[in-house]
Amino acid sequence: MAHNNYNGYAGDSMEVESTGPKVTVREVEPGRCDFVLQSCSLAFANSIRRVMLAEIPTIAIDLVDFEINTTVLPDEFLAHRLGLIPLNSVNVAKDLQYTRDCTNCDDHCDQCSVTLRLHVKCTSPENLHVFAKDLMIVDGRNDDIGRPVLKDAARNGPLIAKLRKGQELKLSCIAKKGIAKEHAKWAPSAAIGFEYDPNNKLKHTDYWYEVDAKDEWPVDQKNAEWESEETAADASFDPDVQPSAFFFDLESVGIIEPDDIVHQGVSVLQTKLAEVISGLGSSDHGLNGGVSPDPYEPAPADGYAYGARGGTTPYGATAYGSNGFGY
Amino acid sequence: MSVNGDTSMADGEHETEVMEPGDEEDILLGGTPKLVVLRGATTHAVSFQIEKEDHTLGNSLRYFINKNPDVEFCGYTIPHPSETKMNIRIQTWEDTGTTAFDALRKGLEDMIEACDVVSEKFTEARDEFEKSKA
Repeated sequence: MAHNNYNGYAGDSMEVESTGPKVTVREVEPGRCDFVLQSCSLAFANSIRRVMLAEIPTIAIDLVDFEINTTVLPDEFLAHRLGLIPLNSVNVAKDLQYTRDCTNCDDHCDQCSVTLRLHVKCTSPENLHVFAKDLMIVDGRNDDIGRPVLKDAARNGPLIAKLRKGQELKLSCIAKKGIAKEHAKWAPSAAIGFEYDPNNKLKHTDYWYEVDAKDEWPVDQKNAEWESEETAADASFDPDVQPSAFFFDLESVGIIEPDDIVHQGVSVLQTKLAEVISGLGSSDHGLNGGVSPDPYEPAPADGYAYGARGGTTPYGATAYGSNGFGY
Repeated sequence: MSVNGDTSMADGEHETEVMEPGDEEDILLGGTPKLVVLRGATTHAVSFQIEKEDHTLGNSLRYFINKNPDVEFCGYTIPHPSETKMNIRIQTWEDTGTTAFDALRKGLEDMIEACDVVSEKFTEARDEFEKSKA
């Protein structure tokens, strides 16, 4: 490969020497991690943010089979609620297969799914509350993947439904691996605070104000103090100044620890890069490869046409409507 | 490769696929290859189309490629919001030995490296934080 002695950081004074990016963890509490990323570009910091939000694989209930539902809530409604229940996703990335990629089974199996059952009936005159803790894992794998996460003091987990006397709910769920880009129920992070230039020194935004923008707009004090003293507010706009510190406040749903979200996020990003490298081929291929179909021509009928079976998305096939479950 | 970028693609009749169809190692996403070279490519100026990528990869990859002094131009676009395709255009200076392919590869490798550093530095910072708390 032809190279000059460019090392990936040359020609950009913003980059700190050859040591590259810098990370400072400011605050950690269960389910939360506040850190500052420095000496990298806005583009790169944003990629990490995006990947932590939407592309880390987790597990969530994807198919629900109702046997009995005499509650006041319709099946679809309950199925949606079940999908959103946080299930333990530690090690999902490496220990669980995507059902669509699983070579071990035709439909789903222990290596690509977790089955949970729920059977409750209200027999007392008082209303019965059904919680996530009532979901029972069937033929468990020998790890914790798919176990409902119970973070509240009473260890109940989210409330699924309330049953009156005589009402019964019996169902089985298949939880599958997925990413939040396909459906938000697979999101590992509840929220990611992301900010740079808290004092708006770079003038990337123009605050509307009545009298004084400073008095009228909130500032994250912790972030504002991290940055050096404010420069004159009326300094002119310099398009060449680059932001230097990115403030992340990562809040986990509870299914993966926040530090794991960072590491997995980075590794998902690396996987994407590696895939493109491998698509680029290994050697000096030049331009004389095979002829590929015109990417703008319609796809072949049996090819990748999204939605061909009513239940595919660009990010993966879901089995909606393709088997007996369908919710 | 010739410096003036004159290749068999000059007639622009066909798209060029970097991977041969049927290769075991092809990354095929629902029948489409991960990476395709778009029509009209020369050695130093190539538009790539990457399947199933978006701004997450596009913007920072563009940034890393642009940092290479041999690169004259690099930009990316998502041609249509309903298609999961991302186009990235790379032009390198013709008086350098760096082809657009080299520049892309270099950009990808640099970004992987940067990812490693961030991951490492995060672990360090977390351990340090825990130590300071203990």
